[in-house]
Amino acid sequence: MTSQARIGLIVTAIGFFTGIWLFLAPFMVEYQKVGQDWTEATKNDLWTGSALIAISALTLILFAAFALRDAARAVEQASTTEAEEN
Amino acid sequence: MTKYVIGATGALLGALIGTWLMLAPFALAYQGSGADWADPTYVDFWTGLPLLVISVAGLILYASGLVEELRRRGIMRRPYAASPGQPQAPGSPPENATGSENSMEQVLLPLVTAMLKDMQERDRERDGAREETLDDVRQTRDAGDEGSVRK
Repeated sequence: MTSQARIGLIVTAIGFFTGIWLFLAPFMVEYQKVGQDWTEATKNDLWTGSALIAISALTLILFAAFALRDAARAVEQASTTEAEEN
Repeated sequence: MTKYVIGATGALLGALIGTWLMLAPFALAYQGSGADWADPTYVDFWTGLPLLVISVAGLILYASGLVEELRRRGIMRRPYAASPGQPQAPGSPPENATGSENSMEQVLLPLVTAMLKDMQERDRERDGAREETLDDVRQTRDAGDEGSVRK
């Protein structure tokens, strides 16, 4: 994996944690009281936060899956060339 | 290669969400224009701006990773890099001394070769046509001679 991809993954992980922050922010900053009707700001933050969490998690999972597939293919190719050389 | 495309797509969506977060307080009108910013506005704006910056950085990184991968597989060429498959002709000047001249020659060489080939083909066609007309003239002259003898 290239260094750019590693930093890209860190960036995606930061996006994931930002989503969690957005989900919790209305209650932590206390512009949404527990038990009261949700305000427009709270609804927006919860929907945006959940979308961000979903997108970041999906990106991380798919990236990891395809990176593993690439690694497995590379190992297969290396073993095939080794066997041919022998 | 697919992993970089997925990463770049995720980063692009993150950037769009960041932009939306910055605009949302005004778009959804929970922040009056001209009024002091309320807590939700502060939270949304100062979350959206870093998210936008980070996502754009991520998008650039994933895209550069994709470009690197494409170059490694030989799908994309490295800019200003000499192609490894072309050995230098003996007696040609060193590459670093007149690199631009060499590359210019490499660009012009196929063009000049094609032009030469085209010229040679035209010459050949012209020679063929001339021979044909000479044969025709000879045949008509022979026919004339035969006619005069018969008379």
